[in-house]
Amino acid sequence: MSKNKTKTRDFQRLSPAWNIVFNIIAAVVAFVCVFPFLFVLIISFTDENTLAKNGYQLIPEKWSVEAYRYIIETGESLMRAYSVTIFITVVGTIVSLIFITLYAYAISRKSFKYRHFFSFVALFTMLFNGGLVPTYIVVTQVLHLKDNIWALILPMTVNAFYIMIMRTFFSTMIPDAIIESGRIDGASELQTFVRLVLPLSLPGIATIALFNTLGYWNDWFNALLYIDKPGLVPLQAMLMRIESSMQFIMQNSTNASLNTGILQTMPQDTSRMAMVVLATGPIILAYPFFQRYFVQGLTVGAVKE
Amino acid sequence: MNMLGRFFRDIIKNKAMLLMVLPGTIWFFFFSYLPMAGTIISFKEYRYSRDGFLASILESKWVGLDNFKFLFSTNDAYIITRNTVLYNGAFIILGLIFSVGLAIILSEIINKRLSKSYQTAIFMPYFLSWVIVGYFVFSFLSLDKGLLNQILSYVGIDPINWYSESKYWPYILVMINMWKLIGYNSVIYLAAVIGIDKSLYEAAMIDGANKWRQIRHITIPMLIPLMTILTLLAVGRIFYADFGLFYQVPRDSGMLYSVTNVIDTYVYRGLKTSGEIGMSTAAGLYQSVVGFTLVILSNYIVRKFNKDNALF
Amino acid sequence: MTQTKKRFTLALTLLIALTMVLSACGGGNNNKNNTAGSDKTNENKGSDNSGKTEEPVELIWYTIGTPQKDVDKVMAEVSKYTAEKIGATIKMTMLDWGDYDQKMKVLTASGTPMDILFSSSWALDYVQNARKGAFLPIDELLTTHGQDIVKTLDPAFLEGSKVDGHNYGIPANKELPAQEVWRFNKNLLDKYKLSLDGVTSLESLEPLLKAIKEKEAKVVPFAMNKDYLPVVPYDYIIQNLPMAISIDSGDYKVINVLETPEMKKALTMMHKYYMAGYISPEASTTTSLDDLQKSGNWFLDRAATQPLADNLWSINYGYPVVSTAASDSIVYNWSVMGSLQAISANSKYPEKAMEFLNLLNTDPVLRNMIDSGIEGVHYKKVGENRMENLPEADNYNMPTFSLGNIMLTYLNEGDPDDKWEQFKTFNAAGKPAPTLGFNFDSSKVTSELAAVQNVKGEFWSALMTGTVNPDEYLPKAIEKFNAAGLDKLIAEAQRQIDEWRAAAK
Repeated sequence: MSKNKTKTRDFQRLSPAWNIVFNIIAAVVAFVCVFPFLFVLIISFTDENTLAKNGYQLIPEKWSVEAYRYIIETGESLMRAYSVTIFITVVGTIVSLIFITLYAYAISRKSFKYRHFFSFVALFTMLFNGGLVPTYIVVTQVLHLKDNIWALILPMTVNAFYIMIMRTFFSTMIPDAIIESGRIDGASELQTFVRLVLPLSLPGIATIALFNTLGYWNDWFNALLYIDKPGLVPLQAMLMRIESSMQFIMQNSTNASLNTGILQTMPQDTSRMAMVVLATGPIILAYPFFQRYFVQGLTVGAVKE
Repeated sequence: MNMLGRFFRDIIKNKAMLLMVLPGTIWFFFFSYLPMAGTIISFKEYRYSRDGFLASILESKWVGLDNFKFLFSTNDAYIITRNTVLYNGAFIILGLIFSVGLAIILSEIINKRLSKSYQTAIFMPYFLSWVIVGYFVFSFLSLDKGLLNQILSYVGIDPINWYSESKYWPYILVMINMWKLIGYNSVIYLAAVIGIDKSLYEAAMIDGANKWRQIRHITIPMLIPLMTILTLLAVGRIFYADFGLFYQVPRDSGMLYSVTNVIDTYVYRGLKTSGEIGMSTAAGLYQSVVGFTLVILSNYIVRKFNKDNALF
Repeated sequence: MTQTKKRFTLALTLLIALTMVLSACGGGNNNKNNTAGSDKTNENKGSDNSGKTEEPVELIWYTIGTPQKDVDKVMAEVSKYTAEKIGATIKMTMLDWGDYDQKMKVLTASGTPMDILFSSSWALDYVQNARKGAFLPIDELLTTHGQDIVKTLDPAFLEGSKVDGHNYGIPANKELPAQEVWRFNKNLLDKYKLSLDGVTSLESLEPLLKAIKEKEAKVVPFAMNKDYLPVVPYDYIIQNLPMAISIDSGDYKVINVLETPEMKKALTMMHKYYMAGYISPEASTTTSLDDLQKSGNWFLDRAATQPLADNLWSINYGYPVVSTAASDSIVYNWSVMGSLQAISANSKYPEKAMEFLNLLNTDPVLRNMIDSGIEGVHYKKVGENRMENLPEADNYNMPTFSLGNIMLTYLNEGDPDDKWEQFKTFNAAGKPAPTLGFNFDSSKVTSELAAVQNVKGEFWSALMTGTVNPDEYLPKAIEKFNAAGLDKLIAEAQRQIDEWRAAAK
């Protein structure tokens, strides 16, 4: 194993000069991408009035945790919202992965007679959609998922885009010889898939899992449509509700007849940023978890040979 | 009878595969194909009925293609179509080059720990909503408080009122879109690079190929199927514009419309007062039909070159 | 290793399949229960018709506002009261400010069961939805089950909320006309001893703005957002689209307001102020003045007023704000439609719904219960029509204006005794706009409307905030509006107005 590793390094190595160039490019891009995030973090801890007076500053005159206090007080229960989100993200990602990988694997197999047909079935849904109201009708009146946690999971389970990506991973990364060897061993199609194909496709699966996780984590629209029960509202939906209502009230603040009486307590700008921190903080930590599988794919490739 | 028999034999032969696509197919039926019936609204003047949605559809009157008219009957039709297609074209081409480039760079960096940190970093803009991105762009471009104008005046150039100068915006929008989505796309390519069979590189090594030749002759060719698929899929959505990018980021500034008005923003603004569901559905159908036609065409062309790389 | 892995996968798949099946069954069951429930209530309705009986019907009520913790608790109390009075119980669903419009669009279009729903000119557009058939026409119900409402309301409310000759909603009895005021940051007024005498027109602001501009570098003298619109004596057919009728001349001729001398004069003045630096260079893309209001770095802006508004603003901002009239007080369609309760077209119990609305708008006990919660829990009474919030009020903090007749609600601490008298005086002073009761039907010109809206987006804010020179941009805008089909819209509006007037005669 370790011998293999050194060998791997050998043929992979870039010349030191180019390595530096690559590092610089990547570092610059990375900085440009991270910088706004640091800014978000700083603004979220800035005093609202200081912000109104001075605008965005890297080192604010006065710090404050008011924004976080406001969100925690306004949202019914941050912890419950987090747990709803975590539940739908974990369950949703697993269910999604099963649906997507099975479908994608089948249509990637040349021996599957109907692969063109089913590819088309999937692709067609990417280009045409029925629109909001018909989808709402199906979910609430055909599937009866109103105020049901599955209304947050099922509408996002399958995604033709991911199926297409996954299919490409399967057809480029899995040599036919592997599947053939499974067949010779007398394994069933499912056994071949689970035992031989999946371990080799880990980088692809990790990618799709990552996208699914983010999709579920960031989703607020399904909750807006299908959930009225406060106990089932996920984090992003809760934050989105606070945000859009805050904006609505701000925009109508000069109209005295629409007085809602909560204007003075609202730290608008800072809490918007605090929401970003609360919503993305935990999920950024999930990224390295998926990254692990990126490397694993590499060792499998080395071992295979 | 014979045909039916063969059909059943095929079904049995493909039993395992058919079972695999079954869950997905059921999902597609409920969440995609069933709602698609609602597209009929685009040919109707939708009015509510007391007896629910189906009755509403049936009782609404047919208006033929009237709901599509607003997309074509104006002087803006050319501008919004041009903007949508050109921006998406730029996003597709530049996105492809940058994401593949970045994926290769990240995969070649020797220190894997550093490489991983870069990966995490470039993914982060994906988390920011367009509204938030809009605020940041504003903090850079604002006339009096903006960072960019402060730099300009420091260098001795007069500050620019960015939100009323349309000539800069095509570049600004392309840059911002690249910044936001490049991380996401390069992750896909990165996964593909990592999945490439390492024995291919070893063979190349033995042949004495250096790193550059390996990239040119192994990495990139191995990525071609993925590039093709992703590009084909993007072509299918070429008439759909990212609403947030074109509405939130330029702050809906009227003076920039000539370069920021796209089909989606036009529809949004146009239907704000009348709120006709029929017309918004019609707009969606129009975007879909064009995208579909383009995908079929380009897929046909791809098939000519390489059957395996095509979508279907 | 692989064996366990396989087993694990299999178990997982089974588990998931099982949960899905179960949840599907659960959903089905729920639904059965629901239908069973509604069947039952249907029967009740039948028996209700045949003779007075026990089981009250449930009215489903959707309204706007941040959902409150104690809604169900209060509604249980409300239901006890209404069950006794009119034989109906109330189930209220609150949707937050920013969600209401979007979510209600889907709910109404999909025919979700409901009885009463909030509507207005600014959220879940009243005219638009009335035309689409979301609401039940209530002309007849008003006379049979809502007589008391008709007696309480200023006739202009019901007149102004007619769509194509029919009423579809009960306007809340509140301020009736719309009046624009100039608001001033009083701290700055006092600091420089500026006087508001004679300040009404746009021109009359100049010396004040000049004084502030010279002395306070950090203050925006004339604060405004992108929706700012100079006051001109025209009545807009559609809000913020340039078709309008002269308010004073009485000729009922629809014209392009951009072509009027008054508008030209106002825009020229605005541009002058803009060039002088009184207006923020970013006004035409600004959506919220929140920053300025919080920091107090503004001197003057314009707002819609109502009685006691100055107090309200001062409390909200935390520093004194004073105002002076900027326009006449005029009753527009949209000012009448600030807050309405409509009965859903698919309501199962329209009569009951109307009876409830009748009670809500005339019965102080019910109205205050809905507004402030349960006496002794959320508030306590400290006078005949005066109350004080108890700590629990935080769990039931409702927007007063969106829930019917506000003039029945108890006075809060700090309200003058004659608060509602002031409202009545304010309402009586309002002059009806020429198009009061007329609502433009755009269904024949939707394509043109879409194009015109886009042209509006392109030019409107820049012109109105003075950001661009009207000498150059006004002709350009007029030309583009006409190319987009504004003349066709104007002709259609003229036709409808003529018809409407002929019918009214």
